[in-house]
Amino acid sequence: MTFRFIHTSDLHIGRKFANIPQPVDGNIRGRLMEARHGAIGRLAQAARDQGAAHVLLAGDTFDTATPSPVVIRQALAAMGEAPELIWWLLPGNHDNLRDAEPLWEAIHRDAPANVIALTDAAPQDMGDAATLLPCPVAFRASASDPSEPLVTMASDDGKLRIGLAHGGVTDFTESGTAIAPDRDRSARLDYLALGDWHGRIAVSDRVQYCGSPEQDRFKHGRRGVCLSVAIDGPGAVPLVEEVETGSFLWAQVDLTLHPRQDAAAALTAILPGAGRRDVLLRVSATGWAGLPDHVDLQRAADRCAPEFAHFELVTDALGTQYETADLDEIDRGGALRLAADGLMDDAESETLSQADREVAADALARLYAYVREAAR
Amino acid sequence: MKIRSITLNNVRRFTEPSRVADIGDGLNVLCEPNEHGKSTLFDAMQALFFKPHGSRDKDVASLRPHAGGAPEVTVEVETEDGLFSVAKRWFQKPAATVHRNGNLIAQSDAAEAWIVDLLGGDAGGPSGLIWVRQGMTQLTGGSKKEQDAALQARRDLMTSVGEEVEAMTGGRRMDLALARCREELTSYATTTGRPKTNGPWKDAQDQVDALTSRRDALAATAQELHEALAERTRARRDLREWEAPEAVEDRRSRLEATRASHAAAERHAEEVEAEARKLDMARLTAEGAESRLDTFRTSLAERKEAAQLVEKAAAEAKDKQADLERQRAQRDTAEHAFEEAQEALKTAEAARTRALRAQAAKDGADRRRELEERIAKAEKTRSAMETAAAARTGPDAKALRRIEAFAATHSTAIAARDATATQVIAHYAEGRIGTIRAGDIPLPDGHSLPLPRATHLTIDGVGTLEVRPGEAAHDGNSVEAAAQKLREALKDVGADDLDMARNAASARAEAERRHGEAKAVLDSLAPQGIDRLREALAKIPQMDAVADTPDPDTAEATLTDARAAHDTARIARDTASERLADARSEAMRTETMLTSLRERLKRAEDALEKIGNRSEADLAAEAESAAEAYRAAQAAHAAKAKDAPDLAATKAALARAQSVDKRAGEEIARLKPLLARLDERISRASGDAVEERLAETEQELEAAQANLARVENEVAVLSRLEKALEAARNEARERYFTPIAKELKPLLHLLWPEAELTWGEESLLPDALTRNGVTEPIDVLSGGTQEQVALLVRLAFARMLAASGRGAPVILDDALVFTDDDRIERMFDALHRQAGDLQIIVLTCRQRAFRDLGGNALRLAAPEKTQPATC
Repeated sequence: MTFRFIHTSDLHIGRKFANIPQPVDGNIRGRLMEARHGAIGRLAQAARDQGAAHVLLAGDTFDTATPSPVVIRQALAAMGEAPELIWWLLPGNHDNLRDAEPLWEAIHRDAPANVIALTDAAPQDMGDAATLLPCPVAFRASASDPSEPLVTMASDDGKLRIGLAHGGVTDFTESGTAIAPDRDRSARLDYLALGDWHGRIAVSDRVQYCGSPEQDRFKHGRRGVCLSVAIDGPGAVPLVEEVETGSFLWAQVDLTLHPRQDAAAALTAILPGAGRRDVLLRVSATGWAGLPDHVDLQRAADRCAPEFAHFELVTDALGTQYETADLDEIDRGGALRLAADGLMDDAESETLSQADREVAADALARLYAYVREAAR
Repeated sequence: MKIRSITLNNVRRFTEPSRVADIGDGLNVLCEPNEHGKSTLFDAMQALFFKPHGSRDKDVASLRPHAGGAPEVTVEVETEDGLFSVAKRWFQKPAATVHRNGNLIAQSDAAEAWIVDLLGGDAGGPSGLIWVRQGMTQLTGGSKKEQDAALQARRDLMTSVGEEVEAMTGGRRMDLALARCREELTSYATTTGRPKTNGPWKDAQDQVDALTSRRDALAATAQELHEALAERTRARRDLREWEAPEAVEDRRSRLEATRASHAAAERHAEEVEAEARKLDMARLTAEGAESRLDTFRTSLAERKEAAQLVEKAAAEAKDKQADLERQRAQRDTAEHAFEEAQEALKTAEAARTRALRAQAAKDGADRRRELEERIAKAEKTRSAMETAAAARTGPDAKALRRIEAFAATHSTAIAARDATATQVIAHYAEGRIGTIRAGDIPLPDGHSLPLPRATHLTIDGVGTLEVRPGEAAHDGNSVEAAAQKLREALKDVGADDLDMARNAASARAEAERRHGEAKAVLDSLAPQGIDRLREALAKIPQMDAVADTPDPDTAEATLTDARAAHDTARIARDTASERLADARSEAMRTETMLTSLRERLKRAEDALEKIGNRSEADLAAEAESAAEAYRAAQAAHAAKAKDAPDLAATKAALARAQSVDKRAGEEIARLKPLLARLDERISRASGDAVEERLAETEQELEAAQANLARVENEVAVLSRLEKALEAARNEARERYFTPIAKELKPLLHLLWPEAELTWGEESLLPDALTRNGVTEPIDVLSGGTQEQVALLVRLAFARMLAASGRGAPVILDDALVFTDDDRIERMFDALHRQAGDLQIIVLTCRQRAFRDLGGNALRLAAPEKTQPATC
């Protein structure tokens, strides 16, 4: 009989998003927080839709080691509202055993019966078909491969061996702290459910990162998903299916401009046509633009920004190409032109620091904007 | 650009075409009375150049004749590209055209653009700068709008009038940009560049500071939580280890084993100690027996020796006692003799005292007597001295010498007088001696009688003979003067003549000698005066004579003898006393020694008595037996001590086991409340969601820092822009003023040598004129001076325009209204000076005043038939 479960991780419940600018009349931070809490319900729905009885949370269910009692209790209550499911909660680095000891004590004490805190690296019976082999994270920064215990962890014969761990598989420093990518083979696992990476990655057929069910950063460019995993039996290749659970889309798009291009039109062209209220968008402008293009681009960004949940226009990498006509627009001569020329010289100076050059460039752009506004 | 002709049609009073032609280079003058259309000509040119042909504004409307119609203005201009005819018509069929050589080259908007290009692309054109409308003769004036327009014209024009002024102030756009920049910067920063209170910059800084503080506090709390968790982990582990059953059993069994070992060791130690006590007893017994034997032997010898010494000492003590008695008797005898000598001494001293008192009484009487005699003699001598003093009445030696000097002088004067006086010598006849008399004195015979003055000589029987000395004869005054001094000197001493004076002086000397002698005697008798003698006499006591007094010398000798006898007796007594003391001391010493020896003897006898009536052999046998018992006890003790366990080791092992057990209890007692406290701390901190709040605060701080960085960058950008704008404007002003001042200077000096103009930075116009060291604001100058300055400034502007290649004609419509005849001549010079490379068109109604201006005279007349149609 096929064994089905939901693999998810990195809910980071309780995250406040205080670094996201919030307009006076806006509530983006509250919406983002609520979306993370709401992911529990969407995961439960995905499990029901997929016919799964287990939800494996591979670490970082909570954003901090000591979330507020309200956050804990409401999350547990939301899980308890799906009594037909069993929620397996693994401590990750954010809610590691040492720093989050009170949290796990509270979960042990207050959690409903269908929520199980995996605070020991000991096999857990998932019924007749599978044994869950959890590797709880003991410290915020571990000095060893957290999946190492899986090698020696025993399980009943004839049952699926499902590993659950939290950490990266890439060890850029070769410190030996990363999870071995072939851990499924060394630990004879049918499936290794991993957490820590917020993006979706399939390391191999049996080693999978599900990513966060509700994204919280721009780098992944898609809504969060969970994995619906189906395994026919020991040794069978798992069938992994992505189920979208994210409500917000965090996206970063590049906008490459060139001189004399209609910057505003170029920006408009890359913007999503619908659903902007649930999109957090970062536009990174690159290339070169003239002074009027800078002004037009910023105006276009200012116009469309309120339509999005969050909108950022990053122009750090967008160079300014100074056209004589643009400078003439400031003034053909006289003091204004003198000032503009001086600022342009500084902006293109090879002796000034990068910071001073950028200040001079911004000052010139501001002068251009002033003159443009005065002329309107 | 130069204007060659102007044609008006349907412009105000010119309902028929009228034209000013043949406008040449340099200075052109249209001199017409009022109401002949000069200002209309000016306004028409303004409209042509600056009013679009589609305009219907009031300026254009004002050009229409009363009867209505479409005003038409045509101007022929010559540029480097040739001669062009520019024409405009407003209202009906409005049109603008530009012809060249009769060919239409632009019309409508193209023609307007051509005109704008002709004027250099500036909206205001040169008119506001170098054209002077009638009534606008001052630098400033007109309505506010006109003043603003003029200012704008100056700025806009000067921004592009050539290389020298190309960087002018930037005009209104500069003002707007700078104002906007400053407005935004002011919202962030103070004038000193510090964050402004309640401004975005300060708010951002405060927010970062507040969040940093909150973050640090939360981080500290989180750290405390982590430490508490770690401590709790350790405490739990420790408690588990202490309370582990195997650990408890281990501590208990170890404690029991060490206790048993230690008890066994203690028992063995007690047995060893008992053997040691027996050993001590045997040793003491042996030592006692040995000691008694020794005491017995020693005491026997001691008793014998002490008895011998007691006998000897008793005899010596008896001798010493006898000697003591002997010395005591001798001392008593000496003491008695001494007392007698003392008595004799007292008697001798009393006798001598009486003798001395009697001698003193006698000496006092002698002294009184001697003083009384001296006083009497002194009184007598003083009386004699007073008598002598009274006799000192004559002249003293000095006075006498003075008188004798006067007398000598007098004698010398007489001798001198007589030597020069007439000498009469009588040689009497016999028997006739004495018959010649001078007065009553007969002249001696044969003796020369000097006659210093007229003298009558009586010659008995003959009569008188008057003898008169000659003129050279002495007049006798010196004799008389000397005589007078002599007389006065004699009178001073009360003498009649010199001899009397000498006698008196001699008597005085004698009196003085006697006085001196008496004084010497008196000084010897009473050196300090008679009264002191009397006082000394009064002090001598009256003493009665004492009867039967011994002779002092005898008494003194007796006393001396008594003293010697007394000293001898005293020495004898002292010697006897010392010998007595020595004898007493010696007696005491022998007595003490005797007592000591007797005690020694007693002690020896006591010791023997204490030992009892035992023999030396018994005592020796007893000592040998005790020594044997001691050696046996030593062997028994050594045998027991040899197998004794280490009591200190068993005690240490027991102490360690007890310490471990005790520590286990203490640790358990410490850890349980510690865990309770840690549980409470952890519960409280985790309940406060410190990590969650820390994460939130860190995110807020990240955003606040980003915001602060953005604000600081904004401040930096605005500051940089403000700095750039100010620097550029300042530089532009310098570029602006320098060429204008240079151009204006020679024109200004035509009227006022050494005059200087000060320029306003905002108005870009002169605001003060300095002449002869006195600076006056322009607006307080006379109307004539103001219009002269205004005209010269415009001429300077025009020259600069021409130098920039955008030369435009200067058009002056009655620009010199208030200027007097003298100044107007120099203004004409200025116009001619600038007209060298400028086209100047002067419109004036002052025909007489401008008669001497010279230049090309213009006429306003109907156009010739050959003129082409304008539009």
